[in-house]
Amino acid sequence: MYKIAITMLLGDKGKYLGIVSGIALASILMIQQPSILLTMLSHTYSLITDISLPDIWVMDPQVRSSEDSRALLDTEVYRVRGVQGVQWAVPLHKGSQSVRLSNGELENATILGLDDATLIGGPGEVAEGTLADLRLPDAVIVDESGARNRLARRSDIPGQPPIPLKVGDTLEINEKRAVVVGIARATPTFRSDPIIYTTYNKAKNFNTSDRKMVTFVLAKAKPGENPEDVARRITKATGLAALTVDQFKQKSLDFMFQHTGMLINFGFVVVVGFVVGTAVTGQIFYNFTLDNLRYFGVFKAMGATNRLLLGMILLQALLVGLIGFGIGAGLTSLFALSTHSGDNIKLELGLPLLAGSGAAVLLIVLVAAFISARKVLKLEPAVVFKS
Amino acid sequence: MHETANIQAPPVHAPVVVCQGLTKSYGSGETRTQALRGIDLSVSPGELLMLVGPSGCGKTTLISVIAGILDQDGGTCQLFGQDVSRFSPRERVRFRGKNIGFVFQAFNLVPTLTVAENVAIPLLINGTRRDEALRRATWQLEQVGLGGRERDMPGQFSGGQQQRVAIARALVHDPRLVVCDEPTSALDHKTGTKVLEMLKSLAVADNRALVIVTHDQRIFAYADRIAHMDDGMIQETVRQQ
Repeated sequence: MYKIAITMLLGDKGKYLGIVSGIALASILMIQQPSILLTMLSHTYSLITDISLPDIWVMDPQVRSSEDSRALLDTEVYRVRGVQGVQWAVPLHKGSQSVRLSNGELENATILGLDDATLIGGPGEVAEGTLADLRLPDAVIVDESGARNRLARRSDIPGQPPIPLKVGDTLEINEKRAVVVGIARATPTFRSDPIIYTTYNKAKNFNTSDRKMVTFVLAKAKPGENPEDVARRITKATGLAALTVDQFKQKSLDFMFQHTGMLINFGFVVVVGFVVGTAVTGQIFYNFTLDNLRYFGVFKAMGATNRLLLGMILLQALLVGLIGFGIGAGLTSLFALSTHSGDNIKLELGLPLLAGSGAAVLLIVLVAAFISARKVLKLEPAVVFKS
Repeated sequence: MHETANIQAPPVHAPVVVCQGLTKSYGSGETRTQALRGIDLSVSPGELLMLVGPSGCGKTTLISVIAGILDQDGGTCQLFGQDVSRFSPRERVRFRGKNIGFVFQAFNLVPTLTVAENVAIPLLINGTRRDEALRRATWQLEQVGLGGRERDMPGQFSGGQQQRVAIARALVHDPRLVVCDEPTSALDHKTGTKVLEMLKSLAVADNRALVIVTHDQRIFAYADRIAHMDDGMIQETVRQQ
């Protein structure tokens, strides 16, 4: 009889497609929106994830997130080095500068000034050139997205795509000459500005107006030391905010949640997707059951138990749920895959997100099945004797 | 076949249906309607009994009680020597599924299933494997003159043909009792007569009885007995020549 249930469902093509489409659409909204949100949030702390060596970040206590920057004196680096349990500590400068392109246009870029000696804080993957070349005079490394887009050379021929920056090209940063010695792969920042890596001292040269240049002190706990304990000691000794990697990521996330409408806006769309999906699926599935109510009555008269009928309805609901979710997840995956080829935000669909959305779809179809099943289970088989 | 401790295989020649003092009412208080007012009725194997009477006289209620679909308020109704009202709801449903076939006025064929699948439903409900159920359904369709059309959909059949499919469905699981509610009312005279002839030739057997609810006088001649009902009671029972 379960095969009969599936045949009845597939035989009503209009309602079947309607239910599947409703679930697919709900699935798309419930997967894609959280995916965008999670990806954007990961860009919030992209600086922290890209710089993986240090396990403690030291900063001005007023700093609210990794996108924030309040400069410290150079001497703070030495104070942090002097704290018990610190294996090493290096400065990191993070600032924003105007970059003049070859055609005279200005673009804003994020400048990361790395410790001259160790180059800690540099990009994890250098696609062209080498990180060590940053020690050359006027040397900078540009992130791949910035090199292909906002910092690319505009073509002289109208309508032609911009010419990506390559090793050997020159830029003008705050009226100072910079030579591209490498192209790096980096996670985009929240604001998607190009990222230009240079050494800490060259960064000072590009930014002559600020006296304080240290944005963060990157520190490593000695082997055997708990980074949280070391961070507490740094705070106590220096009065600065010292956070482990996870703590700093969480602080950056909390700032985003509290001071932007991201969570509410995306969450609202997800809730709408769920509610609309439930309403559409429930309504069409209920109509499908009503259309077939007479036949369920016939089955009852012929000896079908309530358990059998409930099983049939559940099977129908689970089948459309599986197919609808599969289509929705598949389309969203294709969309996410398409974002990986360009330089826009690259969506990631993790297993927890798919599992969560799948659970939501399961809830939708179970609600639809429950509403329909109530009608069938209460049905008096004697109704089949009415014409 | 599934048998429980309460359900016994009845003797072959015992009455198929024995009703005594059957009463049934609907509603309560001032709106209470007495649908059955003490029905005494029996149906023997090999017999075609017609229940006739005006609309609202209780015919459908009576066959619903006989078929175990409705519970009576009073009296007894034995099917194959067993008091079905003593069964648990689950046992009653299974008993009905194994022993009773139904033919409805409105055919009630599922339009999205093939006719073979429609005919196979009683077997599938009783747990028969799908391939075996379809094989038996195909054979039953041949018996009603629709061999070779098992993959067609009900919508491709005329009214008379659909009712033949319904007859095949009612007989496929070899029930001891076939209950028909106005089987010819939706058909023209010629088609209705043919359907009745087929029903009688196939359904009436040594171990099977046929109860037909009808007010179609054109088919009275096919009955072995006619029970005239009015106002919830059997007024008279006439044996046909």
